[in-house]
Formats: sequence, structure tokens, C-alpha cells
Amino acid sequence: MSAISLGKLTKVYSTGVKALDGLDLDVRDGEFVVLVGPSGCGKTTALRMVAGLETITSGTVAFDGQVVNDVSPRHRDVAMVFQNYALYPHLTVAENIGFALTNKKIPKREREQRVRSAAAALGLSGLLNRRPAQLSGGQRQRVAMGRAIVREPSVFLMDEPLSNLDAKLRVQMRSEVLRVHKAIGAATLYVTHDQVEAMTMGDRVAVLHDGVLQQYATPRELYDRPANLFVAEFIGSPEMNLYEASVAGGELVLGSQRLALGPAEAVLAPYRGQKVIAGVRPEDLRLGGAGRADQAAGAALTADVRVVEMLGSEKHAFFAIDAAAAGASALAAAAGEAEADAGLLAEQAHNGMARLDPRSAVRPGQRVTFGVDPRRLHFFDPGTGLAIR
Amino acid sequence: MSETVLRSPAGVIAPPGAARGRRRRSVYARRRGRSGLAFVTPFMIIFTLFMIAPLGYAIYQSLYTTKLIGGTRFSGFANYAAVLRSGPFWGGVIRVIVFGGIQIPVMLAIAFFFAAIFDLGVARWGPVLRAIYFIPFAVPIVVSSLMWGFLLDPAYGPFNRLMNAIGFQNFNWLSANLMLPSIIIIAIWEWTGYNCIILYTALKSVPRDVVEAAILDDTPLWKIILRIKLPMVRPAIIMLVFINTIGAMQLFIEPTILNNYQAGVVSNTWTPVIDIYNTAISDGEYQLGAAMAVVLAVVIIAISAASLAFRSRRREFA
Amino acid sequence: MSAPPLSAPPPARPRAQTRRERRRRERLERQDAAIPVELYGLRRGTLTALTACCVLFAVFILAPVVWVIINSTKTQANIFESFGFWFAAPFEFFHTFANLFRDVDGDGTYSQWFLNTVLYSVSGGIGATVLAALGGYGFARFEFRGSKVFFAVIIAGLLVPITLIAVPLYLAYAKVHLINSIWGMILPSMVSPVGLYLMRTYVELSIPRELTDAARIDGASEPRIFFRIALPLMVPGVMTVLLLSVAGTWNNYILPLIIFSDNNLYPVTVGMGLWSQHASNSGDANLYPLIVMGGLVTIIPMIALFALLQRYWRGGLLLGSVAN
Repeated sequence: MSAISLGKLTKVYSTGVKALDGLDLDVRDGEFVVLVGPSGCGKTTALRMVAGLETITSGTVAFDGQVVNDVSPRHRDVAMVFQNYALYPHLTVAENIGFALTNKKIPKREREQRVRSAAAALGLSGLLNRRPAQLSGGQRQRVAMGRAIVREPSVFLMDEPLSNLDAKLRVQMRSEVLRVHKAIGAATLYVTHDQVEAMTMGDRVAVLHDGVLQQYATPRELYDRPANLFVAEFIGSPEMNLYEASVAGGELVLGSQRLALGPAEAVLAPYRGQKVIAGVRPEDLRLGGAGRADQAAGAALTADVRVVEMLGSEKHAFFAIDAAAAGASALAAAAGEAEADAGLLAEQAHNGMARLDPRSAVRPGQRVTFGVDPRRLHFFDPGTGLAIR
Repeated sequence: MSETVLRSPAGVIAPPGAARGRRRRSVYARRRGRSGLAFVTPFMIIFTLFMIAPLGYAIYQSLYTTKLIGGTRFSGFANYAAVLRSGPFWGGVIRVIVFGGIQIPVMLAIAFFFAAIFDLGVARWGPVLRAIYFIPFAVPIVVSSLMWGFLLDPAYGPFNRLMNAIGFQNFNWLSANLMLPSIIIIAIWEWTGYNCIILYTALKSVPRDVVEAAILDDTPLWKIILRIKLPMVRPAIIMLVFINTIGAMQLFIEPTILNNYQAGVVSNTWTPVIDIYNTAISDGEYQLGAAMAVVLAVVIIAISAASLAFRSRRREFA
Repeated sequence: MSAPPLSAPPPARPRAQTRRERRRRERLERQDAAIPVELYGLRRGTLTALTACCVLFAVFILAPVVWVIINSTKTQANIFESFGFWFAAPFEFFHTFANLFRDVDGDGTYSQWFLNTVLYSVSGGIGATVLAALGGYGFARFEFRGSKVFFAVIIAGLLVPITLIAVPLYLAYAKVHLINSIWGMILPSMVSPVGLYLMRTYVELSIPRELTDAARIDGASEPRIFFRIALPLMVPGVMTVLLLSVAGTWNNYILPLIIFSDNNLYPVTVGMGLWSQHASNSGDANLYPLIVMGGLVTIIPMIALFALLQRYWRGGLLLGSVAN
């Protein structure tokens, strides 16, 4: 019996906009599940339907097996942390945290004690008499969490709670949130647009796009075996390099080069003589790992380096190969949006990127050879975008 | 031009003028300020001519007395002393304070009640109702008083007829006892709509997620309205108390017009402004009238300040 | 070689929506944006009770207006004798209406008063709006010596009772022969501290500094910036102030009462006040139907104006409450 389960959850607004289309999801007891996707993908809508703040067009929301579609959000025992924190501006921190408890008519002494322990757990003990206006963003965020945890709910919902914080604070708060989650032990549904948060925090991650679930799996699984092009590009930063390619004679034809297919040869059998989309992650391209043997084995990719960015911890080498790029940004370029730029920066035009050791000797204008492990290649059907397995 | 260009080995080269501290503003800023002055000048001219100047003249005149014999001579605070001693004047002041003290809270409570209902989206035909409530704002007070005078006329007015039909006795709405309550009702009729719309727009700016958070906390509706939404529109309420107080203290038109329906109830000093008008215009003692007006202005300022301080200390709505 | 579709092709641009479709769409979007009533946990009975309260209050508000409409059709005798909220023969509407154009009582002609009112309020209102717009822009976007002090003094002007201004104005007018002059009425009506405050707030809220700064850097002169960039963005605020100023002058009673002694210069407010006085004193001139009819004709234009320009002043009133 999962703590939260969504069955074909759908939301269509009265203006006709379909925000969510048949979402199936389950969250186990104590699990931390992340809903991730670009803006407008329906993740917040789904969260709000679980809370009861949004009416359900069709489908079910169930807690512990019981359908709660018709249960008012007041009685669902759900606590939520809002993106803008939604603190009561005229109440102190202590009153904010304890507000729900006053509604439940919990005696004053017990209420104060619970507020104090929640505040202590979040490091807010010294701020109990301040008002939200006097707090920093990070403190407000913690008050919002305190308000949620003091209720000891059975379901914990979080709507992009970290997106209003600056980058450094965000990293700190990630572990805070997980620590709090562990302490409460309630099933948690966490919404974000940041795939880094999703990958680092989630037990399982659901990727949504345009209201449709793309893949629901552990972060490892999403990274190693993305189910479709969207997930492949969305997960992992920097993005996966994608190219139009074809399968011929047991090899992958990538522009003027040929790569060995390795174990994927069998999977790609139906695509012999046809086009596919091939992807390789920037971190799977090794510089200087292409010895004679690799080249002979067809596991080497030659490319012209156009731009090199030095980050200190790594080097990003932007290169060009003579295959056509197939990523979403490349599609936009093909649609003519980036035409004007193409002419200007022809010398710098690139269609791929590699993450290299900071001490690598790469220079712009250089022609290099990357070693590619055929097992690290990803293949997608050009028509459906689904991964070829 | 990036910052690095301005950096010399000895440190940052300061822009001209800053070395003398911030005291002298740059030429550019001063020129800009002058344009600002140009925009503001037309208003300031008319304002000075038709508000400051008369004000100054009135205060100046209040220090003089004109007698039939002896002409106009400086009398210092003699006029003010007369005002302060005048029982009827202060009786009028008390009357408008009582008027405002009852009318304003009642009207604000009603206005907030309806504003809250509209904000909830509970009432059907919301926009139509709001438009109806706003109609009195488009009606001149003279006309409102005339209309209500007809309605409340003890002998012929429909209200008394309706009450007779139901079985109640006639009330003389315009008698000395009931004149003030009647005017309170008229004032509520006139101003509730305007206050309601302002409170409604203020309520609309309460962030939605705060209310949703309260709902998830299982807060009962009355608590959401009184303990969450109401405190969050406090600035609007304070402004309305301020405006309404200033208006209430200057009560003039309603009693003057209603007096035509029931002569004699409204005396010459029934409200301070009536007193001032009669003294300055009808009796021609404009210097004494000027002194009265100044005293009234001071009273208004004092009461407005007091009501503001009172409001901001209280947390709950009465 | 075409690229594979990653998602559905972009939708075709929707055909131009008719006004009704757009309004319906806006209403639906507003509904979606508001918290659904069910979430508040109200019982059905409470909902009906609340709606009933609202309707009752609407009846209260409409009662005098309905009364005026109905009784403008009655003779003087009927106004007093017949039941106030229903009609009674004979139907005298047009007869009474015609009388508005005659000097019935020696006090003056209503139609003249009406024209005066229109003159004063339109010119006063436009003047007030122009001054407030210029001044509000100046205070909001420029810093000059004394700007804060000036503004505080102007706002303090709200505290001053009308009589403190009107009486000395009368005395001053007497000295400069402005007593029975229309300018004596129009010019003071152009002073609107509320209008200035609203305009300043509006400018601060809706004209981003970057816009005017960019224009300055591009070398535009200040007047040009005002007329080309700021003013178009200020339109809703300007409409609000215009409406409020016109209404304020339309309804003004004390000032014209004091400074005018010539009947022909009275606005409608003062004229009707005079009628009301005379009607009770001399029972003779059949003034009551005229008073009722006059009331009706006075309120119709203002109500119509507010109704037509609804979309403008709604936002303006918000400023007063939010910007504190």
C-alpha cells in the first residue's frame, strides 16, 4: 500500500488548457519523490491536486489506498511548503509555526513545546519573536518548513521551496531539507525545475513534460538509461550530445566517421540501413584515450575543437563534427531561429561538448580524437524519440 | 566602459565632485532637478493661490476684529477666546464626534463584511452588486439628502407608510432625537459602497498562497477572514478611517437640507461647519468665522492623529 | 533530412477572438485564479444567507434611486399622497421635465444650472487632472530641493476643512471682483491633493525607472520623455483622477454656495438646495416634482459616466489602498 498513489490524474482548465495528462505515480512510506520538469510541465498542478487545492478533472488521488478526491484539503492531513513561503506577515515566527496547532485546539503548553522543538530542529530558536519581514530568505524558508513539520503530517508536499534562494544557500538547504525529511519520516512529494536538485535529493524522480510523465525511476536509472530524448537531454548537466546518425553494416555512421556499436548491435538490428539519433554524454568522451587500438576498434571520434572554457575543476571543450546535431536547441536552430547568428560565428559554431580533466592540453582550432566507449552510447528512434532498447 | 579602466594603481579614480563628500550634487543632477521643478510648478502655483493663500489670509483675518464703530483693528487671540468659550460651538463639535464615532466603525464593519463576501466569490452576481453599491458615490450629497428627506418624511414618506403597514408606529425620523441617527443612516448609504470597493481591492491583493496555507492548516472561515485577511489590509483601513474622519467632522450638507423638511430641528450651530457658515456668511462676522475654522482644523488634525494611533495599536477589529 | 519530432508541432495561431469570446475567456481565467468556494468549508445555508444579505443591502442602496425614478412621474399631490414605491396617474414625467427649462420660481432655471455644472466639472476636472499628472510625474521621478516638504504640505492640505478655504476665498474674490465669476469656481477646483497623490503613486508603480533613464541616455528632452513615454503608460491613472475630479466638482456644494450670488451661475447642487428651502417656505410653486426630477437628471450622467469607464477607475482605487 503506497502512502500516496496517483491514478491517471488529469487536469483540464475551464479555458481548455490541459495541464496534466494521465499521471500515474506512487510514493512509498517515507520515500522522497521528486517531480521535475520545465515550467508549465504540470508538476505544480499535480502537487496541488494531491493537496486538494486544485480540482481534479479525472483520475484519482489516494492516500494509503483510500481515494481522497472528495476529501477537503483541510482533512487530508497534508502539510505544504509553498514556493513563496506564504508566511502570515503579521504574525511572529512562533505564531506562524504554531498557527495550525491553534486551529486544532491543542492546549497552550503543548503547543508552545512543539513550536519550540520544531524551531530548534531548524535553528530558529533565536528568531521566535521576529516577524517574517525581518527575516532573510533562508530563514523564511525554514519557518515555512517549521510550520509544516510541527503538524506531524502523514504527507509532506514541497513546491519549489529552494528556487527563491541564492545558489549557495540552495546547496546548503538541500541537505537541510533531506535531514528534516529523515527526521519526520513522512512520504514526501517535492517539486522542482532544477534537475540537480532532483538528482541529488530524490529517492525516485518523475520527469514531466507538457503534462505527460516521461519517466519515473531512480536518479541512477534516469541518468544511465533515459527512456526518451526529453529525459536524456533534461537530466545531466551539461546536456547530452545528440546527433543524427544511421546504422549501416553493423556500425554507426556519424557524419563521415564510423563507430563500433558494441553490444548495442543487436538492439539496433531493426534499424539497419535506417536513421537513428545517437547520444553521448560530455563526460563519456575521453581525451587521449584514443590509442591505435581504440581507433582500430572504431571507438574513437575525431572532432575540431572550437571553444575551450576553463572552469578550474574541469575543462569544457566545444567541438564540431560533421554530423547534424539533433538536440532540442539544434532543432530550434534548424527552424531558423538562430540563422542570423550562424553566419557571424561560423568559426565558433560547434555541435558538441566534452568535459575534460582541467590539465588536458586542448586548444581552440585543434583537431582532437576522443575515445568513446560504445557501451556509453545512447540510441533513440527518430520518429518517436523513445530510447531504443 | 568597465570598472577596470577607471582603476589606477593608486586606487579608484573618483568621479568629479564626490571628493567633496556628497554635499554638492553633480551639475547633471541639479539640472534634472530643475526639470522636475518645472513639472511640479503649475500644480504648486494653483495650490498656493487657492489653498495656501486663502489659508494664510484666513488665519491673518482671524486675528482682527471689525466693529461698526472703530473699524478693523488687531485683536490678537480675542476671537479664539470667544470660540473656545462658545458652548454651542463645542456642542456642535461633540455632536460630530459622536456622529463619526458611531457612523465610521459601523460603516467600515458593513463595508468590510461585504468586501469579504465579494472577495470569497461567494455571492452570485458579484460585479453587478458591486456596481450597485457604488452608485451613491456618483450622487451629490445634496441630492442624497433631498431624496432621503422625502423618504423619511414623517407624514408622507414611504418608510413610515411601510412601517404602518407592518404594524409599527410612526417614527418622526427628522425630529430632534432622531435627526442624528437618520443622518448616520444616510451617511452609511452614501459611503459604504466606496469603502467597500477599496477594501475589496485591498483584499484581492492578499496573496493567494497565504490563504491556501491557512486552508491546509484547517483554519475555519471566520478565522481566515478576521485573523488573516483583515490584518493584512490594515493600511487600507487606516487610510479609510483617516479619510472618513475628516469628512465626518465637516458634516454640513445633510443637516442643512434636511432642515428644510422639518424646520427648526437643525440649529445654527448644529455642526461646526454650519456654525462657521452662519457666523461668517449669514452674520457677516467673517473674522470670528475664520477663527472658528482654524479651531476646527486643529480639532480635525488632533482627532485624525488620535484615531490613527488608536487603530495601529489595536489588533482586532471591533 | 528533417529533424525528428520531439513533441507536438507548435499550435497554429488562434483566429482573432471576438470580444465576447475574450471576455468569456477572461472570466474563466479569473475563476480559475480564485480559490474555489468549496475549500472554505461553507455550508449551503450559509452561502444563501450571505447572498441574501448582499441582495438586501443592494435593495437598501437602490431604494432612493428607484423612488426618484418613480416619483419623477408624479404630480406634487401624488408625491405626498400616493405610495412612494409605485406609480400613480396622471403621468407627468414629460411635463415636469419641460419645466426644468423654465425659471419656475424666480430662483433660476435648472437647465442653466445643469450647464453650469457641466462647465465647472469638466473644466475643473480636466484642469485638475493635467496639474496632477504633471505634478505627480514630477514628484515621482525627480529629486529636487524641497520636494519632500512640498509633497507633505500638499497632503496636509487634505486635513484642512473646506470652510477654511472657501470663506477667505470669498473675501479675496470680493477684493478682486471675482465674486460672480466662473473662474472663481473652476480654478480652486483644479487643486486636488488626492489626485496628485494618486498620480504620484501610479507613476511610481507603473513607469519603471529604466524606461525614463534609457530615454534620457538616448538624449530625449524631458518634455518629450513625458509626453511620448510616460503619459501613455499613465492613462489608467489619468482616467481615474479625471473621473474623481469631475465627480468631486460636480458634487461640490459649499464652495459655489459661498462664492456665487447670481442665480444663473449656480451649479445644480446649490440650485436644488435653494429650491428645497423655498419649497418648504412657500408651499406655492409646485416645486416638489421639480426637485425630484432635478435629482434624477443630476444623477444620471454621473452614474452613466462611472458605469462606462468602469475599467479605468477600478485599478485606480486600488492604488490608494495598496501604496501605503
